[in-house]
Amino acid sequence: MTAVAVPLALLALWEAASRLGALSPRYFPPPTAIGATLAGGLGGDVGAELSVTFARLGLAFALAAVPAVPLGLLMGMFRPVRAAVDPYIALLFPVPKIALLPFLMILLGVGEPAFVLTGAISAFFQITISTQAGVQTMDPRLLDVGRNYGARGLTLFRKVILPAALPSIFTGLRLGVGLALVAVVAVEFITAKSGLGHLVHRHWQMLLPTEMFAAFALIGALGLLVTRGLRALQRRALAWQESTDPL
Amino acid sequence: MSRRGAPWAAVVSPVLLLLVWEWASASGVLREALFPRPTTVAATLARLVADGTLASHTLTTLGRIAWAFATAGVLGIAVGLAMGVWRRFSQGVDPVFAVIYPIPSVLFLPLVGFLVPAGEVAVVATTAVTSFFLVAYTTAHGVRQMDRLVMDAAVHFGARGWRLFAGVLLPGALPFVFTGLRLGLGYALIVVIAVEIVGATTGLGAFLWLSWQVLKVDDMYATFVVIAALGAVLSYGLAALRARLLPWIQDVAQ
Repeated sequence: MTAVAVPLALLALWEAASRLGALSPRYFPPPTAIGATLAGGLGGDVGAELSVTFARLGLAFALAAVPAVPLGLLMGMFRPVRAAVDPYIALLFPVPKIALLPFLMILLGVGEPAFVLTGAISAFFQITISTQAGVQTMDPRLLDVGRNYGARGLTLFRKVILPAALPSIFTGLRLGVGLALVAVVAVEFITAKSGLGHLVHRHWQMLLPTEMFAAFALIGALGLLVTRGLRALQRRALAWQESTDPL
Repeated sequence: MSRRGAPWAAVVSPVLLLLVWEWASASGVLREALFPRPTTVAATLARLVADGTLASHTLTTLGRIAWAFATAGVLGIAVGLAMGVWRRFSQGVDPVFAVIYPIPSVLFLPLVGFLVPAGEVAVVATTAVTSFFLVAYTTAHGVRQMDRLVMDAAVHFGARGWRLFAGVLLPGALPFVFTGLRLGLGYALIVVIAVEIVGATTGLGAFLWLSWQVLKVDDMYATFVVIAALGAVLSYGLAALRARLLPWIQDVAQ
């Protein structure tokens, strides 16, 4: 009830303020106008821009997750791996990855590989660290029980370690996809000539706020879809796990 | 589990990497135009530090982060506590926040520019957006996971208003608040660099972008080193600060 009423009231207020001129409609067009623009396809091919961003995000996420999960598992299980890799992860994790964009553009040229890789690197560190933490913080009793029942090597990994680390891996994937989205859209906003981020930038430069807000709404929806979708997947796949993480 | 075993590996392997890099660029295995030698980068760094360029950009960026972090922290804790305590409020703002929160912060630059004059205020406000949500969400979660008994006992003994807030709610939610602040600070750094790239002429992000546009590769590397160091100092500094000031609480997310 409140969950529907408050957003509707805010939208109505915005609509009224914009129509009556309390908010300058030059900057804050009424929501109905934004909705109409959105429905009309933003005067161009919105589907194409949306799929460009989606493809970049998907590729970046895959490029990050495929090496990060095994690396995190190895780091969690084997001390020598951890000792060799940890200094680099610890050093690079807090670096804003968007700062790598100019380097990647010098190396790979201004184009898709540089854009996608910036997103992938953003997600990579988060996924690695969460995966490693999932292995390292598992209840050691689980390992003892597994060993006592004769689980060794691959069996121990598949039946005990991996299931114990899964919730943390999932959290890492979810946070990682969020970071990749931030990076991909930022890259689009800064330099790429396509995608939802570019849509915002272009309409900002042309001072077409209606289109700009419409692009905003699309990005919000995409973000909501991706993060909520992964959360629902996590809840379904790990039904035995009580979720405690706040984000 | 702590990071035991072979601490020397943590020092030796980066040093080895730098030596290999130095040799590879010097001998032409790596193109020096793209991968300048570590010694060249160090010399550039020293030059940019000596002439004050980096100091001024670093201070600008740090100032922006500080303002954004303070704004996001204060507002985020206040709104988060209200969300945690007051179910109605939480239900009302949740759908609004849910749509705004996943929108990457940089994109708010044009929007913020409509509301306040473009310039410092716009840069700081844009930087604060995502950090605010992180702090608010984690704080609200921190309040919700508190032991009901503690709350009931406090109310029973007459804690009201400010005393309930500062004496019970805030300390109870503190581990989560701190996690929110840490994540928020990390985001603020990411966003401020991105915002400086598009919307400012000063600061480390702007200088990095300028160096790329005029292809001063040495300057790029030197600036990157400073940005990386800033990230490490802020992130590990905050962790150390927590261990120092609030040794009894645990960070709830690694």
